[in-house]
Amino acid sequence: MTLEEILAERPSQGQPRAYRFPAFQRTVLASGLQVLAVHVPGRPLVSANLVFRRGAGDEPRDVAGATVLAARAMTEGTERYPGVELIEAAERLGATLHAEATWDAFMAAVEVAASRLEAALELLAELVERPTFPEPDVARLRDERLNDLMQVKADPRRRVEQAFAAAIYASDSPYSRPAGGDEESVARLSPAVLRTIHGSILEPHLAALIVGGDLAGLSVPELAEHVLGSLGAATRSAATTPPPSAASALTRPIVRLYHRPGSVQTELRIGHVGLARRVPDFHAVGVMAAILGGLFNSRLQMNLREEKGYTYGVGAGFDMRRAAGPFAVRTAVQTASTVPAILETLSELRRIRETAVTETELAAARDFLVGVFPLRFETPGAVVGALGGLFVHELPDDELARYRDAIEAVTIADVQAAARDHIDLDRMAIVAVGDADAVGGELESAGLGELEVIVEETPVGAPDESDEGSE
Amino acid sequence: MTAPTVAFTDERLANGLRLIVSEDHLAPVVAVNIWYNVGSRHEVPGKTGFAHLFEHVMFQGSRHVAKTEHMALVQAAGGTMNGTTSLDRTTYFETMPSHQLELALWLEADRMATLLDALNQDNLDNQRDVVKNEKRSSYDNRPYGDWFHKLQEHLFPPEHPYHHPTIGSMADLDAASLEDVAAFFRTYYTPNNAVLSIVGDVDPAQARGWVKHYFGAIPANPAISPLADMSLPSGMGAESREVVQDRVPLPRHFFGFRAPRLGDPRFDALEVAAQILAGGKGSRLYRRLVRDEKIAQDVAFFLVGLVGGASIAAGQATVRPGVDLALVEHAYEEELERLGREPVTDDELARAHSLMETYELEALQRVDERADRLSTYAALLDDPDLINRQLGRYLAVGKAEIQAAAAEALRPENRVVLTYMPAAEAGTDTTSGTTDEETAA
Repeated sequence: MTLEEILAERPSQGQPRAYRFPAFQRTVLASGLQVLAVHVPGRPLVSANLVFRRGAGDEPRDVAGATVLAARAMTEGTERYPGVELIEAAERLGATLHAEATWDAFMAAVEVAASRLEAALELLAELVERPTFPEPDVARLRDERLNDLMQVKADPRRRVEQAFAAAIYASDSPYSRPAGGDEESVARLSPAVLRTIHGSILEPHLAALIVGGDLAGLSVPELAEHVLGSLGAATRSAATTPPPSAASALTRPIVRLYHRPGSVQTELRIGHVGLARRVPDFHAVGVMAAILGGLFNSRLQMNLREEKGYTYGVGAGFDMRRAAGPFAVRTAVQTASTVPAILETLSELRRIRETAVTETELAAARDFLVGVFPLRFETPGAVVGALGGLFVHELPDDELARYRDAIEAVTIADVQAAARDHIDLDRMAIVAVGDADAVGGELESAGLGELEVIVEETPVGAPDESDEGSE
Repeated sequence: MTAPTVAFTDERLANGLRLIVSEDHLAPVVAVNIWYNVGSRHEVPGKTGFAHLFEHVMFQGSRHVAKTEHMALVQAAGGTMNGTTSLDRTTYFETMPSHQLELALWLEADRMATLLDALNQDNLDNQRDVVKNEKRSSYDNRPYGDWFHKLQEHLFPPEHPYHHPTIGSMADLDAASLEDVAAFFRTYYTPNNAVLSIVGDVDPAQARGWVKHYFGAIPANPAISPLADMSLPSGMGAESREVVQDRVPLPRHFFGFRAPRLGDPRFDALEVAAQILAGGKGSRLYRRLVRDEKIAQDVAFFLVGLVGGASIAAGQATVRPGVDLALVEHAYEEELERLGREPVTDDELARAHSLMETYELEALQRVDERADRLSTYAALLDDPDLINRQLGRYLAVGKAEIQAAAAEALRPENRVVLTYMPAAEAGTDTTSGTTDEETAA
């Protein structure tokens, strides 16, 4: 055969190996704490994640940011291990100890060799149950957060995210502000506030310990009972709190342009309040979003990048939380292409609502989502993470196991219904950070909605200036 | 805990293609990773950014694959893919469900053999626009965006190929012609200039058969001219400093040092030093500058491993509001110099070793990382088995090695200090980036 003959023939695929999402065992301890163990043979590095179904979305508005800060401050010292001693003890085990909070959850995680799991879980329990929130360290982390908020203003990509959330959500929704809080609320965060928030989270009925890896010879429920059996035993009251408000601020299209003189690109976010995770047509939405802006060859990417060259990349999707997170198209385009890029984006949003996707497009998205599923869960850490999502969103145990079948079942009509139901051109926010002198006029005459141009000073925290926004 | 051994075979086809196959059936997944020994160090003045622009062209189709069809076929097969270009090399990779291995091999072979059949002015112009937007979004429109490029300028003399950024300049990108692209392809995109690693759920005999079938008849280029000597004096000889005005609220110091090349035991010693200096909340720089003295908002210190002349040791410290710039700089530098003056403690070394063991194990869990490491070590050091010895090398680093390596590399006469200052007036951005690597997507 010549080289040409060899290459002219496309290979056919082989026989797919059977795949099932790893099975997990659930045990409920006397305290109400759930324990999920997933045995993944051949993986000596174990991931353990203690997840609480309570996050930044559940905190009172006046102390917004307290949950995120409490998670960060937990590693600043505990009763038995003051200061950095806890971190040092973990490092001696070769364990990576980590705590964080999201909108929906508060979690502490560790990765460690299976042989040292018990010692690592003891540190995890110490971290979660007995943090001391020392005043100097809380003050330092609070100031770091305030400094970071100042840095956000100078970074177009972060500034536009913040501005977009503020544009689409009503001010009584926590989602209108950053999960880490804003200048006003963060300034209020004290050790006492963090202790109160932390105490309200430590509820075993709201918690799951999820452990994945090669667990041969280990009894995870026994370990959990031993190490975390008395977690939050004093409280045992609360049930799951209802999801927070995700009310929209928009009743008509709006355009907000944050002026950044001399910008060589415009950062764009186009969208509105989207969906909660427990939406009934979750799988159809996933296929629709992949076609619109998820696949490498998505409609938006083919149009804005591969045909027009306006951008390095464009994506679209739904950030699904316990309540409705944002739907957004995200891109950065060269300044001169700002208005054309917005018009093309709106036209793609209209098109996916109004005309059915093709059989080829459906197959591309469906085959990708189904095929890539086993790749996503190659490591125990990824499996544990997905089970955490299952717990936080109170989804059925077979949610992950049935994912591929559910995606396979999505039809062209389902995709179009998802687009029609969940993409709304009549309340679209177009939020941009870019050079208003260069694009403001064209944006105004495009008539895409009421245009508001916002001029902000770049804050300065230099030594010879006043400490604006900090200390 | 010991890391599992990665067993592999290592051979060359008659046309020079180096093939590495490693079998592992834990997950139904296979990684394909192909390295071309061409990076921005192979570029000449006036043609900077070329290796990376070319990487984008590699996704614009070949004789049997239409524009962007490469992505479509990989994704429809349930795979993921990308390409990246750095100073030393260009790499393309696919991670696939294991029954789709043959597709990935065919796609890579078709573009190695027939890319120029699909090359046209429209595709080149389109990807030139995309790359220019990549430059804008990754460097030009970002606070502190050009720090790494500035570091390169200071660390390497103008005639050295590490002096210029991988992303290139707008003027050079504009000047790239179809003839340039074709010549670049004919020179460097040949089997004898490539390493192909396949790792995961494969039948090795079958995989080897497919590679021979698809790649075996692609002709070699025996006339790849060797790179000019890139060797450099081990130190800069004198400190180099620059103050950069940028649209940033907080000043930030960036530090850079010439470091030993990848593969040098002193490089391993500096990797352990980096863990002790800035690896998390237990590290020296974090403790002193962020936690105890509260003069920095954040700190970092890390190595960029390179094979031509010198690697880069780099770091940063963001100055807290109201804090004297010099105070932060001196505290940072003092910690680096202290490593060269006195030994680290037993406990620091033991903690660093334990963590690095976990990080190695974590990284080697994934087939794509294993394939990338095999290609890296084969292409840059002609030693793919380093994948099984690298952890041992870190664990063999003792206090004396750290002290000696730090004393040599982290001294003031070998230092670059860039200080980004909040600009009084908002103006045109400076340029530059956060990493040494550009990606296609």
